[in-house]
Amino acid sequence: MDTQHAVADTAPIEAGEDGVESRRDGSNKITLGPGDSIEGKLNYNGHVSVQGRAEGEFRVSGNFDVASGATVKALIEGANVSIKGEVEGVLTARDKLTLGKSAKLHGDVTVKRLQIEDGASFNGHVQMGSFEQSSGS
Amino acid sequence: MPHQGVKEVTENETSMVMLGPKDRLIGELHIEGNLRVGGTLEGQIEATGDVEVTEAATVKASVTGREVSVNGQVNGPVLASKKLVIGRSGSVIGDVKVPRLVMQDGASLSGNVQMGPQVAAEMAPAPAPAEAPMEAAVVASTDGQTEDRPKAKRR
Repeated sequence: MDTQHAVADTAPIEAGEDGVESRRDGSNKITLGPGDSIEGKLNYNGHVSVQGRAEGEFRVSGNFDVASGATVKALIEGANVSIKGEVEGVLTARDKLTLGKSAKLHGDVTVKRLQIEDGASFNGHVQMGSFEQSSGS
Repeated sequence: MPHQGVKEVTENETSMVMLGPKDRLIGELHIEGNLRVGGTLEGQIEATGDVEVTEAATVKASVTGREVSVNGQVNGPVLASKKLVIGRSGSVIGDVKVPRLVMQDGASLSGNVQMGPQVAAEMAPAPAPAEAPMEAAVVASTDGQTEDRPKAKRR
């Protein structure tokens, strides 16, 4: 459940401008830079933004952002999930999933709202509007 | 001039079919051109041009077209050889196979999505009229059969 381990490739995460636990609108935020990577299982009360590489299982109470250039192979669960990079895995957005124009998503999604911009690529099954099984975070 | 059955349609010209909000079509429709649906449609539709499903429309059919835009309700598989746009009031329940997909916020979609360049490659980019010059009728009422010739040939 609470196995949390993060592997940072480059420098240890700084709590400076955009590092871990910076308070933004009252909630925590983790930002993984372009050179950072994380592997494992993360349950997090806050927002996560990935610019590098992520693999595993991520359940966040806030938003999950995958920036352009990022690669994510994971189970993702978040309130708002926004993807501009490459994602492979099962995805749940309790509120909204946004696929930007550079997004590449491969996997099944369960979402309340879905927005896809022109240019995005998506392969998978879409289920909209039901969250019985996966809202327990 | 072998084919003069439908006046508005000539070989190189696309036709435009519009179904108003009170119109209803149940069956199969094949059209060399664009289609705009405002009413009820059930069965199977295939257009070489663009298909527009307006807000008031209810479509229970498989929809095939070049560029398909949905602002109403579609219940059935959608195939677009170019692009599918689901507007904010649009709803698609069915499998979607398109090279490009745009979904506006508020739109609803349930089904399997297949997307990307490989989808475009396996679909006909454009039907070549040279291959089957005789068969370009709007609705083939005479042969009564399914007319998916342009697609089948192009594979």
